[in-house]
Order: sequence, then C-alpha cells, then structure tokens
Amino acid sequence: MRRWLALALLALVLPGHARAEELVLALSTREVAITSTYTGAEVTVFGHIERDARTIARTGEYDIVAQVQGPTGEVVLHRKGRFGFIWLTESRRRYSKVPLYFSILSAKPLASIIDEDGRQRLKLGLEHFLPAPTPELEERDEFGFRNAVLRLRREEGALTENDKGVTMIRPNLFTARIVLPAKAPTGLYLVNISILSEGVPLRTAQAGFVVRKVGFDAFVANAARNEAVTYGLFTVLMAVLLGWMANVVFRKD
Amino acid sequence: MQLYLPIAELPLNLFLLLGMGGAIGFISGLFGVGGGFLLTPLLIFVGVPAPVAVATSAAHIAASSVTGALTYWRRNALDLKLGTVLTIGGLLGTIAGVFFFNQMRRLGHLDLVITLAYVTLLMSVGCLMFVESIGAMLRQKSGKAAPLRKAGDHVWYEKLPLTMRFPRSKMSTSVIPLAGLGLVIGFIGTVLGIGGGFLVVPALIYFFRVPTSIVVGTSLFQILVTMIVATLLHAIVSQAVDVLLALTLVVGGVIGAQFGTRTGQALKGEQFRLLLAILILIVGIRFALDLVAAPADRFSINATELER
Repeated sequence: MRRWLALALLALVLPGHARAEELVLALSTREVAITSTYTGAEVTVFGHIERDARTIARTGEYDIVAQVQGPTGEVVLHRKGRFGFIWLTESRRRYSKVPLYFSILSAKPLASIIDEDGRQRLKLGLEHFLPAPTPELEERDEFGFRNAVLRLRREEGALTENDKGVTMIRPNLFTARIVLPAKAPTGLYLVNISILSEGVPLRTAQAGFVVRKVGFDAFVANAARNEAVTYGLFTVLMAVLLGWMANVVFRKD
Repeated sequence: MQLYLPIAELPLNLFLLLGMGGAIGFISGLFGVGGGFLLTPLLIFVGVPAPVAVATSAAHIAASSVTGALTYWRRNALDLKLGTVLTIGGLLGTIAGVFFFNQMRRLGHLDLVITLAYVTLLMSVGCLMFVESIGAMLRQKSGKAAPLRKAGDHVWYEKLPLTMRFPRSKMSTSVIPLAGLGLVIGFIGTVLGIGGGFLVVPALIYFFRVPTSIVVGTSLFQILVTMIVATLLHAIVSQAVDVLLALTLVVGGVIGAQFGTRTGQALKGEQFRLLLAILILIVGIRFALDLVAAPADRFSINATELER
C-alpha cells in the first residue's frame, strides 16, 4: 500500500507528467461575530483553480460544489398523535451528533453536475446531513421521521441547498456565498469545496471559519454559565431596582 | 431594531419586546397579577425557547411586583403579616418547583407539562371566577346584598391548629391552609413562569374573605419574594434566565404597570373579577385550541448545541 502511494506521489512530481488542477481558497472572514445586533451573516469563499502548462487539458468547464458543515448537536423530532380528542406527542426520535448547520452550494443543480453514484462516493447532497440509516431502520421509519427532519431543518434555514450559491466569475475563478441564519449555532464551520469536470471529481480543498459570541453577548453568556450565582443576583437586583425606580418616578400620591 | 438575546440565542425586535412588556405591565398593575400567565405564552409564541421564557418571566414579574407592591404599601393596602405567612409556604414551593422543572426538562416533557398545566389551571380558575362575578353582579342588580359571613363563622380549614389573627385583613385563621396555599402557588409559579396572582387573589377572597382592597397588595408582596427566589434558582439551576430579555421586558413593564395601577382604582370589585376572568379564559382557550385542533404539522423539531 505504502509503495503504491510513493509511486503515485512520484508520478505527481515527475516532470513531463500531466497534473491535476490546484485549488486555492480564501474566506471573506475567519470569524463571524455574534453581537447584540446580529441577525444572520454571510461568508464568501473565493476560489481560484490554478492550471499550468502541465495540467491536463479539459474539454468541459469546471463545476464547483461547496458543502458547509456547522458544529454538531442534538436534534429531537416530536410527532403528535391523537389521544381521544386532544393531540399530544406520541413519539419522538433523537438524532445525536447531527450538524446543526448544513449547506450545499453550487452553480447549477447538483444532479446535472455529478450522477447519483458519484454523489454517494463523495458524500455530496442534503441526504448526507443525517448518517445513512441501516436498511432495517429505514423500514421501521413508518412515520417518515427522516423526511420530516430534512423538511423542518430546511424551513429553519439550518439545511440549505442552493444551486445559485456559487458564481463563476471566470472559467477558473469563483465565489461561493454562505448564508448563516439568525439562529446559527456557535462553533466551527467547515467548508469543503470540490471541483469537478464532466462529472469527474478533480480536487477537494477545505477551509473553515468560526461563529462565536463576542463583546457584551459573550460576556453575558459566559457569566450565565460560569458565574451563575452572581449573574442571578445581578438580574434580581436589576429587576428590583428598575421596579423601585419606576415607582419613584411615577409617584403621584 | 433587532436585538440579539444571548441566552435565548435569537434576535428579536426591541420595540416588540418593549411593547409586550408594557402591555403585560398594564394588565399586571390593573389586576394585581404578575402577568406571567400572559407573558410566558407570548414569549414562547415569538420563538423564545420554553425554558428561557419561563425563567425570564420570573425576573420580569419580580420587577413589576416591586412597583405594584410599593404603591399598595404606601396606600396602606398591604397586609404584611398575611403576606409573610404566604411567602414562607411559597419559598418551599419554589424550591420544589425548580427541581421539578429541570427534571421534566431532562426527560423532554417540559413543553407538554406547561401546556397541560396552563389549560387546566386557566380554564378552571377562569370559569369559576366568571360564574362567580356574574352571579355577584346579578345579585347587586336585584338589590340583594351579597351574603356576608358573621365574625367568628369559620370553615373547617380555618379551624386547624396554629391560629393567627390578621387584623389588617379583618380575619383570623390557622396558618396551615395559608402556607399550603403559598406552597402550591410557589410551585406552580416556578414551573410555569407565573407569579400566581390570579390564583392567590381569588383564593384569598373566596376562601379567607380577605377584603378586595388588601388582597391585591398582599398578593403582590408574596409574588415579589417568591419570584426573586425563583429568578435566582432558575439562574443557578436551570441557567435559562436571559438578562437582556428581562431588562427590555422590565423597562416596558414598569411603565405599563403605572398606568394599570391607576386604572385599577376606578374599577368595582365585580367588574374587576369579571374582566380578569375573561382574560384568563381567553388565554386558556388559546392553549386548549393548541391541544384540540389538528396540528398543521404533526412534526416539530428541537435542536440543541452540545455542551462544550
């Protein structure tokens, strides 16, 4: 195995041999700050496909697929059922370690870029947001939990597929626009960008950015977590003082 | 203008929050109720997670009851002795409530508990008050005076041991039912994010014949102390108090409460109870519809970040 790898590497560096493209990425920001005025954000990825004399000649144009994966968390799905004349949650399903943000961007519909088999191999597509269930589990999903998760996460803006999210500025220069919703979870976001040509994957590159609370909001969130007693006392004091102040200010009798 | 709330983790419009606080404050000043039974559902409705809505309401109720209690205190319409007995029971209930709240939250039943409890509570209390106040108004119209109890005429629960006299409220009763009432209110209040004024006020009027003029101030005093403790415990144990959300609601609330308190003085006892009953019924029906009506979407989803 190692020998094969060495041979492959040798083939890459040996002059005169055809090479694959290089992919260079740059992000508009490395950190998305959640402040008091945060209502969502946009991160732009700039990509350049580098070729030189030794790069294989391509007949078709390049296709770009960007897959963005946010921090993981737990998603609980509830399904209501009828009990007599009231509706209550009759079953729930818990999905742990699911990306709380997942987005696929391309310049045209994914199906026209790469076929089903290729998408499976590269793990591209919204269905990879949830780990593929075993066939037995799929059988037992009589209520369509899986589809409901995909649908509801999509409605919340936490799961998006945008076939206009990538713009080709030049045949080898592109931008991908990542839109973060107002409820974007804090943490590390990984951007995975693949270049394809006529359905064949050529190269993949990764980049990442962080979403975090800064300034006052970070201060409050930290205080609430780490200094809960002080935080609670402060909240109570503030409430009582404001209530008292209002009484004094508006006092007429 | 959007304001990002650090604990609720979503942006909401600042003026919407101020307006909500103001409206709730007005009602709270008008009826001497904390207004939590309206605020918590409203917060949930605009997207605040249920635990944060409940815990933050407690802070808001504490603030608006300071204002109200001070006003009644100055008018000498507050029975401190009665309030203290209620509060002692209330504190025990609050502690039990916070632990029950977090247990239900862990098991994933919190939302259901909140909805069911709201429906049962609001509908039964609302109906009782509605029927009673209509009856009182009819009696008044036909010229018959409301039946008054003679002094010393006691119901069984008032004859339990540990009797205490409450001269301000013109009554004497055992402290056991009073502390028990406080305990129940404290527990329900902490779990549902309500002060419980809409339960204390009628309970004191119907079961203990406390004069209406004193009831409101006394109930505000009890609510104030229990909600201060509830806010603290929710901040420490549930970690769901959003100080920024509380601040905006309180600023709106204290202003609204001033106007409410003044308007309240002009209302007669029966009108007062009828209006409060209607308000409680409307909220109750709103919750009941949620349970009875076929949901537009049978599925609902809840995503949480993992602890880091």
